[in-house]
Amino acid sequence: MIRKNVYVFLLCFLLSGCGMIDYHPYDVRISGETEVNAHNIERIEANCQGKTTIRFVTMGDSQRWYDETEDFVKEINKRNDIDFVIHGGDMSDFGLTKEFLWQRDIMNGLNVPYVVLIGNHDCLGTGAETYKAVFSPTNFSFVAGNVKFICLNTNALEYDYSEPVPNFTFMEQELTNRQDEFKKTVISMHARPHTDVFNDNVAKVFQHYVKQYPGIQFCTAAHTHHFQDDVIFDDGIHYVTSDCMDLRTYLVFTITPEKYEYELVKY
Amino acid sequence: MNMNWSNTNYILRTGVLSVLLLLPGLISATCKTDTIINSYKADSLRFIIKDDSIITFRTGDSIFTIIRADSVLPVAPKQVKHSHYDNRIHRFRRNWERIIPTHSKIQYAGNMGLLSFGTGWDYGKHNQWETDILFGFIPKYSSKKAKMTMTLKQNYMPWSINIGKGLSTEPLTCGLYMNTVFGNQFWVNEPERYPKGYYGFSSKIRFHIFMGQRLTYDIDPQRRFLAKSVTFFYEISTCDLYVISAATNSYLRPRDYLSLSFGLKFQWL
Repeated sequence: MIRKNVYVFLLCFLLSGCGMIDYHPYDVRISGETEVNAHNIERIEANCQGKTTIRFVTMGDSQRWYDETEDFVKEINKRNDIDFVIHGGDMSDFGLTKEFLWQRDIMNGLNVPYVVLIGNHDCLGTGAETYKAVFSPTNFSFVAGNVKFICLNTNALEYDYSEPVPNFTFMEQELTNRQDEFKKTVISMHARPHTDVFNDNVAKVFQHYVKQYPGIQFCTAAHTHHFQDDVIFDDGIHYVTSDCMDLRTYLVFTITPEKYEYELVKY
Repeated sequence: MNMNWSNTNYILRTGVLSVLLLLPGLISATCKTDTIINSYKADSLRFIIKDDSIITFRTGDSIFTIIRADSVLPVAPKQVKHSHYDNRIHRFRRNWERIIPTHSKIQYAGNMGLLSFGTGWDYGKHNQWETDILFGFIPKYSSKKAKMTMTLKQNYMPWSINIGKGLSTEPLTCGLYMNTVFGNQFWVNEPERYPKGYYGFSSKIRFHIFMGQRLTYDIDPQRRFLAKSVTFFYEISTCDLYVISAATNSYLRPRDYLSLSFGLKFQWL
């Protein structure tokens, strides 16, 4: 009798155990969708083709704020005026493989496509490897309507000179890559110049490249967890930083043929 | 290239270490039973000592010899004088014998590697305590290289119930383990380039708690070859960082932060 119970018990656990088999928090064992950014960029470019007015959302720093991020997704799904979402990085808090998968699954609930940048927390342990496997290369770009979005890895402190961060070669290539498809440029990054993980030695060089982009509009960032709009260098280029998810806000940018504007939305 | 080499080196080192740790257990287990069986079975002369005679015979023999004696002296234990050196050697042997591992384990999953191998000691009045050292490996999956891990595990089993037919069960096993993963991308303390306490956690060392159950099969003494008993166990565990994540979010369900693992324990001694 007892033995029978033991077997039944074991069987139940075996059945319910599927999905509970974990080899290590940093094992980089990916289940589900990979190359998320590439898939979503395809959707963004298709949706925005020929548009001269685009509206997108920036947010970021959703680490360990799963409930808040889930609410954000519900909130965005209630609107139908958004073209896409840019997640400014720091999906994970510790770089654990599962953190990326949980956040990806939450963000996949969005009706609109989204892209995710790499944040400094995403580089911890095997985090950068997981990010690359799940999302894409750490520097990427796409064209929405006539606006090119350059998404950059600026977490220099995490790389300790093992990779060029920020990657000026990439920035230079992007100046001319798909030249005839865009007239305006937006640059997105996790940490803006003059933050602790940015390589401030090259802040001015970075800005030198930023200024060269055709029709540069503004730069977006995350990392500091608080909304800020700064003109860091005396060239009038705004760096707009979004709040972290804990503060339950997001930024909506609208680029029209004449100008751009943005608003901070609380939810 | 250099990175690859150091990685295989880890695997080699761990392999050699686990084999070394296993060997003494295996050797001691086999030697003990063998010597006992040889010296006491068949072919030995037996004595029956009575007040006035000594009867000698061989086991299984019907012929026996009686030696008459006027008196049989009581057996007085021979006084052996132990020198300080002898005592020291006895103590030395006794102490080293204590660290002979009593069992080995294989564990699947449990956030300590795909498979972990190790050995350990059981102790306590009812052997209800158990300490293990395990080495595990993580295949590379989508990362650049495979990784090795090491686990120090403390088990506590308050009860053991005999359910007959050589089977017994430990309805509750619980304990803690500490896992460390090898590789220079993991750190105990943040490298110096970070401002002090920037991240405030160690990516190298994880603390886990677990609960589980066990089913033990005692091998018939006549059929024993290596092990005295074999135990199947399963455990449900979680680690510090998952607990922190689950505590502040209702999004995470138990299956997200709990982990299931299985294993076998071979009792040598």
